Amino acid sequence: MFGILGPNGSGKTTLLGVVMDVLKANSGSFLWFSRHGTSEQRKKIGSLLETPNFYSYMSGSDNLRVTQAISGRGAKIDIDAVLKKVNLYDRRWAPFKSFSLGMKQRLAIAAALLGNPKVMVLDEPTNGLDPVGIAEIRQLIVELREQGHTIIMASHLLDEVEKVCTHAAILKNGHLITTGEVEDIMMDDDDVVEVSAADLNALAAVLSKLGKEIVTDEKNHTVQITLPRGSARLDEINRFCFDNGIVLSQLVLKKKRLEARFFELTNN
Amino acid sequence: MKFMKALIYTEWLKMRKYNAFWWIMGITTLSYPGINFIFHFVYQQIVQQQSQTGQMAKILLGNPFSFPEAWHTVAYFSSWFVFIPAVVVIMLITNEYGFKTHRQNIIDGWSRNQFLSSKLIDVMLITLIITLLYSVISFVTGNLNQERLIKSTWEQVHYVGLFALQTFSQLSLAFFIGFLVRKAFIALGIFIFYFFPFEPIIVALLKEYGNDSGRFLPLEISDRLIPRPAFLAKLDEAGYKESLNAIPQHVLYTLLLTGVVWGVCFWVNKRRDLK
Repeated sequence: MFGILGPNGSGKTTLLGVVMDVLKANSGSFLWFSRHGTSEQRKKIGSLLETPNFYSYMSGSDNLRVTQAISGRGAKIDIDAVLKKVNLYDRRWAPFKSFSLGMKQRLAIAAALLGNPKVMVLDEPTNGLDPVGIAEIRQLIVELREQGHTIIMASHLLDEVEKVCTHAAILKNGHLITTGEVEDIMMDDDDVVEVSAADLNALAAVLSKLGKEIVTDEKNHTVQITLPRGSARLDEINRFCFDNGIVLSQLVLKKKRLEARFFELTNN
Repeated sequence: MKFMKALIYTEWLKMRKYNAFWWIMGITTLSYPGINFIFHFVYQQIVQQQSQTGQMAKILLGNPFSFPEAWHTVAYFSSWFVFIPAVVVIMLITNEYGFKTHRQNIIDGWSRNQFLSSKLIDVMLITLIITLLYSVISFVTGNLNQERLIKSTWEQVHYVGLFALQTFSQLSLAFFIGFLVRKAFIALGIFIFYFFPFEPIIVALLKEYGNDSGRFLPLEISDRLIPRPAFLAKLDEAGYKESLNAIPQHVLYTLLLTGVVWGVCFWVNKRRDLK
């Protein structure tokens, strides 16, 4: 599951538009299934690009028949199944123009799910959904990931990408800033361990024997110690403190949140 | 063939629930026989007069609604109403831009050429429906006005082909405007204004002052496939024969123009961003 991140105007939707052949690239190339992109390959990909695009005078079910006719993904019987999956089955005969923004988004996700494609491209899939809808779609995406689907998802919701993506790329002004596993992107250069005990000053003194960068946060009643990347062993720190007469009430290896890392990388 | 069937089936899915399509096709189905009925009625009113004028008119006009002239007369009057199916053609393409489904169809797996081919098929099918309608009206009108059995029933049946080519060419021009402009009402406004009065005025002015160069204007090129019927050209027999002789040239011009129109559409569609 690959997340594409970037501030507004960084080129997330443009990138997906190019690989789905609705936009023409000035340069560069891409491969789908190890081949140059063609319409036949796009038929195998379930896509939701930017906004849900459907015929307003047609019902949700009829719109999915058009999707099915063009892509060849799934059969007529699968249309009802995907409508049930996104909770639109009861409104399947209502015209698209009567749908709320959230329902339109659900229909677009249903269209992408049609025929259970192995690869999916989702651009802001939770756009316009209420909190319950966001949680449902996030759960659906996690299920798809666990079933082995490859999902490429563009989002500006960092929390969303952090929770569901395994890999990510960060774009800025059309340029790739970084890419890799989400865990690696979030990692700073050093490990930061946050600890707490009854006597903060004593704790800071003991920890100063392990590393030089010690920061005491009186407000949160914690001490942070910075260690070289990959060298923090929590069990050893715990034992070291205990052997020096300190009983820890908190011990955690702090990861940088993707949000913080994103701001660092994009200089925002 | 399988590819064509798939395109037609998908276009059918789009059209079958589109009320405006059925309304306008219904209006077309009424207007084509309607205009011919009105002219036929006026003709009957004139020639049925027992006065000397009525009898003179009957001798002078003959019966343009009997075979073989019926094929020509009905084609001429019917061709005035091509702007009605043109509205459908413009709506079918501008809807795709309005709903942004021109993007979605590509995302879902059509190639850009397949998308445009589906629209070309739409224009062809509408042309076929209109031509069938015209053929039925001509056949019925000719039979109803047949006073005696003649051998020349099919003598001018080539007007069916000319009518089909004219309709296809003019609907293609309507499509072209919709394709380039993308906005339904602006495209409709431009086409209707150009169809009437802009081009007819320019053609008339150029006929008078410009060595008839208006015959090369987009709609006039195919308008001249179906010249005024013989009874309307009694006062200018030489001009009538000239217009008949010019038909083969205009068949060529029309084919060329229509080919260029679709060629440009495919070329532009292949290159432009689908926004």
